[in-house]
Amino acid sequence: MAHEAHHGDAHAHAHWDTSVWPFVISFGILFLALAFSLHFVYHASFAAILTLGLAFPLIIAGVAGWTSEAMGKGEGLSYGAMGWFILAEAMIFISFFVAYWYTKLHVEVWPPAGNVTLPKVLPLVMTFVLVSSSLTIHYAEHLLHVGNKGGFRIWYLLTMILGATFLGMSIYEWSHLIGAGFTISTNAFSTIFFSVTGLHGSHVVVGLAIFMAGLPSVMRGDDIDEGFMRTAGLYWHFVDIIWFFVVSQIYYW
Amino acid sequence: MESKERKGKQGMHKQLVAILRRTSVAAFGFALAASSWAAGPAQSAASKINDPARGWDSLWHEVIVDITIIGILFAVVTAWFMFSSRRTADNQVGASPKLSPASAVGWTVLPIFIFLSIDLYTAANGWVLWNHYRDVPADRLEVKLESGMYSWDYTYPNGVRTQNELIVPAGKPVMLRMTSRDTLHSHYIPDFRVKEDSMPGRVTYLWFHPTKPGEHLVTCAEYCGVMHSYMAGRVIVKSTDEYAAWMKQEETMLAAAATTEAPAVPAKAGAPAAKPKKT
Amino acid sequence: MNLKEWIFTTDHKRVGILYLIGSLAAFAVAGIMALLMRAELSTIGPTITANPTNYNVWLYTHGAVMILGFQIPALTGFFANFCIPLMIGAKDVAFPRVNALSVWLFYVGVILALLTFFIPDPPDIMWTGYPPYSTITTGNTAMYSFTVLILGFASIIGGVNFLTTVAYMRAPGITLNKLNIFVWCTLGAFVLQLIFVPVLGTAVSLISMDKYLGTNFFDPAKGGDVLTYQNLFWFYSHPAVYVIFLPFIGVVFEVLSSHARSAVFNYKMVVYGGIGGIVLLAGEVWVHHLYVSGMADWLRIGQMVTTLMISIPVGLMMISLVGTLYKSSIAFTTPMLYALGVVFLFLIGGLTGIPLAVPSLTLAVSDTYYVVGHFHYVMAVAGTFSIFAGIYHWFPKFSGRMYNEFWGKVGFWLTFIGSNVVFWTMMDIGVDGMPRRYYDYAHFPQFESAHQLMTAGAVVLGLGFAIAVLNWIIGAMKGPPAGDNPWGSPSLEWTTVSPPPHGNWPTPPSVAEDWHPYAYKKG
Ligand code: HEA
Ligand code: HEA
Ligand code: CUA
Ligand SMILES: [Cu+2]
Repeated sequence: MAHEAHHGDAHAHAHWDTSVWPFVISFGILFLALAFSLHFVYHASFAAILTLGLAFPLIIAGVAGWTSEAMGKGEGLSYGAMGWFILAEAMIFISFFVAYWYTKLHVEVWPPAGNVTLPKVLPLVMTFVLVSSSLTIHYAEHLLHVGNKGGFRIWYLLTMILGATFLGMSIYEWSHLIGAGFTISTNAFSTIFFSVTGLHGSHVVVGLAIFMAGLPSVMRGDDIDEGFMRTAGLYWHFVDIIWFFVVSQIYYW
Repeated sequence: MESKERKGKQGMHKQLVAILRRTSVAAFGFALAASSWAAGPAQSAASKINDPARGWDSLWHEVIVDITIIGILFAVVTAWFMFSSRRTADNQVGASPKLSPASAVGWTVLPIFIFLSIDLYTAANGWVLWNHYRDVPADRLEVKLESGMYSWDYTYPNGVRTQNELIVPAGKPVMLRMTSRDTLHSHYIPDFRVKEDSMPGRVTYLWFHPTKPGEHLVTCAEYCGVMHSYMAGRVIVKSTDEYAAWMKQEETMLAAAATTEAPAVPAKAGAPAAKPKKT
Repeated sequence: MNLKEWIFTTDHKRVGILYLIGSLAAFAVAGIMALLMRAELSTIGPTITANPTNYNVWLYTHGAVMILGFQIPALTGFFANFCIPLMIGAKDVAFPRVNALSVWLFYVGVILALLTFFIPDPPDIMWTGYPPYSTITTGNTAMYSFTVLILGFASIIGGVNFLTTVAYMRAPGITLNKLNIFVWCTLGAFVLQLIFVPVLGTAVSLISMDKYLGTNFFDPAKGGDVLTYQNLFWFYSHPAVYVIFLPFIGVVFEVLSSHARSAVFNYKMVVYGGIGGIVLLAGEVWVHHLYVSGMADWLRIGQMVTTLMISIPVGLMMISLVGTLYKSSIAFTTPMLYALGVVFLFLIGGLTGIPLAVPSLTLAVSDTYYVVGHFHYVMAVAGTFSIFAGIYHWFPKFSGRMYNEFWGKVGFWLTFIGSNVVFWTMMDIGVDGMPRRYYDYAHFPQFESAHQLMTAGAVVLGLGFAIAVLNWIIGAMKGPPAGDNPWGSPSLEWTTVSPPPHGNWPTPPSVAEDWHPYAYKKG
C-alpha cells in the first residue's frame, strides 16, 4: 500500500497510508469468539463450524497479507517492542502460577484425590532439549552476524528440529496421562498441570511458527534481517526460561 | 479463626499499632496530641466487650470530619485562585514565579510527610477497630450459618435450626460461622455495621453484640443471582428469659422429631424471603 | 472524503478518531442502560421490567462497557493516539499497522459486548464476574471472557506501540524533561496495562474454562478455591482505575495549563512523585476490594496502609493542579470549566475513598451505594469530565473547526448539577444501608424518594452529556474555522495546521533550547 513521501503540503490529503489486513484479522477474531459461544454455550455445533470457516480464512489471509506487505520494511524497533510484549506474556504465566500457589497453599490436603505420579525423567530430557535449542539459536544469530550464511542455515534448522522434538515429547506425555485417566477435569492439580503445560506448549508452537515464517528466505539464502532474527531469538529464550518455572513448580514441587 | 489463637497475636498487633502511631507522630508533630488521645480507649478495654458497631460510628464520624476538612481546604484555595486569576486582557499570560530547586523539593517533601502522617494515623485507628471486629469475646452464642440461593439457614449449637430468622438473647455476643452451598452471599446487618461473605469451601465468621430486644434487618450484600435483592431475613433479639423459653420449646420439638425419626426439616421455617410484588 | 482511507487507515490521527467515535457510541449505549436502571429503581417493586435478569443484564453491560468500552479506549485510545505523536514531534507511531489492528480489535470487543442484546441467555454476571455464580449461571459467561480478552489484547498491543514510539521517535531536542504531563501519564498507564491486563485476561479465561471446558480452578469439591478469582481479578482491576485516572488527570493538566496560560506547578514532582508513585503503588492495594470477602487478615491489614498511601502521589498531583492556577490567567472556556470541575469533583471522589481504605469501616459500607457513589465521583464524573474537557480542548485541532461556546456551557452546568444530585445521594443512602446490585429494594422503603431524586438527576445529567455530544457533531460539520492555535499554547501539537495532514509536519519539527510545552510567552 501507499506510504511515505509527501511533496509539499499542497496535496497532503491525497496520500493517507492504508492497510486492509488489520481490519481483516480483527473480524476473523470476532468470528472465532462467536464460534466458541455457538459451540459451548448454545450447542449449535454446525453453525460453529460454519463460523470457524469464516474465521480461519480471514485470520490466515490477514496474517499472510500483512507479512508480505510489511516484511523488510520494519523500522528496526521490533526488538524493543518485543521486550514489552514479553513482559505482558510473563504476567500471564505468573497469573497461572499464582493461582496455583494460592490454591495449593490454602488447602489442607494436597494433591487432591485422583492424582497420578508424573514422570520424573522425561521432563529433564525435555529441559535439556529446550535449553540446547536456546543455545543453537544464539549461535545461529552469531553466525549470521559474522556473515556465515551456510552455518547460520544449519543451526537455524537444528533449532527448529529441537523445538519440534520438545513438542513431540510433550504430546507423548499428555497422551499417556490422558490414557491413564488423568485429564484436565480430574481435579484442581490436573487443571493446573494441563493448562500451564498447554499454555507453554502453545508458546513453543508460536515460536516455531515465527521460525517457519522466516524459513523460505533462509532456505533461499536471501539477506536475512538481523533485527528479525534477534527478535525471534529473544522470544525463544523467553519460552525457554518459562519452562524452568514450569518444570520446577509443576513437576518437582 | 479461634479467638484463642488470636490472643497470641494480640501482643504483636498492639506493638505494630504503636509503631504505626509513633511513625506518624515522628512524621508530623501535630499528630502527637491527637494520637495519644486516641490511644486511650484501646488499652483500657482489655476486659470489657468492645462493641465494633459503636466503634464504627465514632471512627466513621472522625474520618468523615477529617476528609471534609482536607477537601474544604483544597476547594477554598482553588476557588480563591480561580477568582484572583481571571484573565483580564486577551494577550495576558500567567505570571507565577519560577520555583527555585529548594522550594520545588520543599513542595514535594513537606506534603509527603503531612499526607503520610494522616494516612498512618488513620491506619492505626482503623486497625484498632479491626481487631475489635475480629476478636470474638469468649462468652458468646455461636451459630452456624449456611447461605444458599436464596435463604439464610441457621443451626444452633444444640442442633436447633431456623431459616431467615436468627433469634438471639439480648446482652450476649453472637458469632456466626458461615459457609455457602452455592454462590457467594454476604450476611449484612446494617444496624450492627457488619457484613462478611460466605462461600463454598471456606468458613468465614462475623460477630455482633445485640444489647436490647428488637428486630434488625439482614440483607444480602454480595451479588448471588437473579433474586439477590430479595434475599432478606431478620435478627430477632429477645430478652434472656424469652429467649430461654423459645429455645426450650424448640428443643422439645427437635427431640420429638428425632425420636420419630422424621426427616431433618428446619424446626421452624421463618418467614420466607420477600417475593416480588408482581410477576 | 474517501471512506476507504478512513476504515483501512493506519494514520495515528485517524485511528484516534475511530477510537473516539467507537468509545462515544459505547458511552451512549451504556448511558442509556444507566437510564433504564434508574427508571427501574424509581419505584419499589417492578417498574419497567418484571424480570430481574433484565436489570442484571443492563447493569452488567453498563459497568463493563463504561469501563472497558468507553473510558479506557477514549483515554488510551483516542487521546493517546491523537496527541502523543503530535506532542513528541513524530510523524506517526512506531507500528502504524499494529495501531490499526488495535482499533479494530477494540471495535470487535465492543460489538461482542453489545451483542448482549441480541443473544439468548445474555451474560448477567456483573463486570466483576465472580465465580461460583459466573460458572453456574445460564447466562453466557463466554461472551464476557472474549470481550475482555479482545479489548485487553487491543490495549496491550497499543501499549507496546506507544512505549516504543515515545522511547525512539521523539523529535530532536525533546528530552524526557520536556514531555507533556499527558505523555508521561499515558506512559504510566500503559506500563500498568502491560503488567496487569494479562492477569485479568487469565482470570476471565479461567471462569469460562471452568464453565465450558471442565477445569476445576474454582471448584472446592475438586480442590479449587473461589477466592483465587477475586484476587486475580482485582490484581488487575484496581490498577485499571489508575489506567483511567492517570491519562484523565494528564488531560486535565494540559487543559488547565493551556487555558490558564501557566506552567504546570512543580513539573518534576508530578512526574516522579505523582506518576511514579502511582505506578509503584498501584499493584499493592488490590485487597481493599476484598475486605469483606473472608480472606486472610494479614493481607487486609497490610494493604490498608498501602491503599491509604495512594493518597500521597495523588495528593501531590492535586497540589500541582491547584498550584498551576496561582497567579495564572484563566479564561473560563468550556474545556476549562470541565477541567476545573474535575478538581472539585475528584476531591470528593478521592477523599471518599479514604474511609473505604480502612477495612473496619468498609465492613459496613462495602457493597452498598456508598461505594457506587465513590466510584461514580472519581470515574463517571471526574473521568468523564476530563474526557469531555479534552475533547473540547483538542476539538479545534482534530476537526479544524470551533464548537459552540454557549451550548458547551449549558451542557457543562447540566452535567455538573445532575452529577452531584445523583452521586451525592448515592453515598448518603449507602451509609444508611442500601446495598448495590439490587433490582428491587422492597425491604428498604425509606429510600424510595431518594431513588426518585436520583432518577430525575440522571435525566438532567444525561441531557447535559447529550448536548455536549451534539455540540461536537454539529461543530465538526458546520463550525467556523478554528485556526491553528486558538488557545495560544506552546505545546507542540498546536504548531501544525488544523487538522494536521498525514505525516503531521512537512519536515519533522525541532525545538529551541528554551522551549518547553508549558513555557508561555508574553505577546
Ligand atoms: C478512576 C477510578 C478510581 C479512582 C481514581 C479511585 C481512587 C481510590 N479508590 Fe476507588 N474504586 C473505583 C474507582 C476508583 N477509585 C471503582 C470503580 C470501585 C468499585 C469497583 C466495583 O466494586 O465495582 C472502587 C472501589 C474502591 C474500594 C472498595 C470498596 C468496596 O468495594 O468495599 C476502595 C477501598 O479502599 C477504594 C478506595 C480508593 C482510594 C483510597 C482511592 C485513592 O486513589 C484516592 C486518592 C485521592 C485522594 C485521597 C484525594 C486527593 C488527595 C489529597 C487532597 C491529599 C490529602 C489527602 C489525604 C492525606 C487523605 N475504591
Ligand atoms: C466510567 C464509568 C461509568 C459512568 C460514566 C457511569 C455513569 C452513570 N452511572 Fe454507573 N456504574 C459504573 C460505571 C459508570 N457509570 C460501574 C462500573 C458500575 C458497577 C457495575 C456493577 O455493579 O457491576 C455502575 C453502576 C451504576 C449503578 C448501580 C446499580 C446497582 O448497583 O444496582 C447506578 C445506579 O443508579 C448507575 C448509574 C449511573 C448513571 C445515572 C450514570 C450517568 O452518568 C450516565 C449518563 C449518560 C448518559 C445518559 C448518556 C448520554 C447520552 C449520549 C452521550 C448520547 C448522545 C448521542 C446523541 C445525541 C447522538 N451506575
Ligand atoms: Cu445472596 Cu445476594
Ligand atoms: Cu481499588
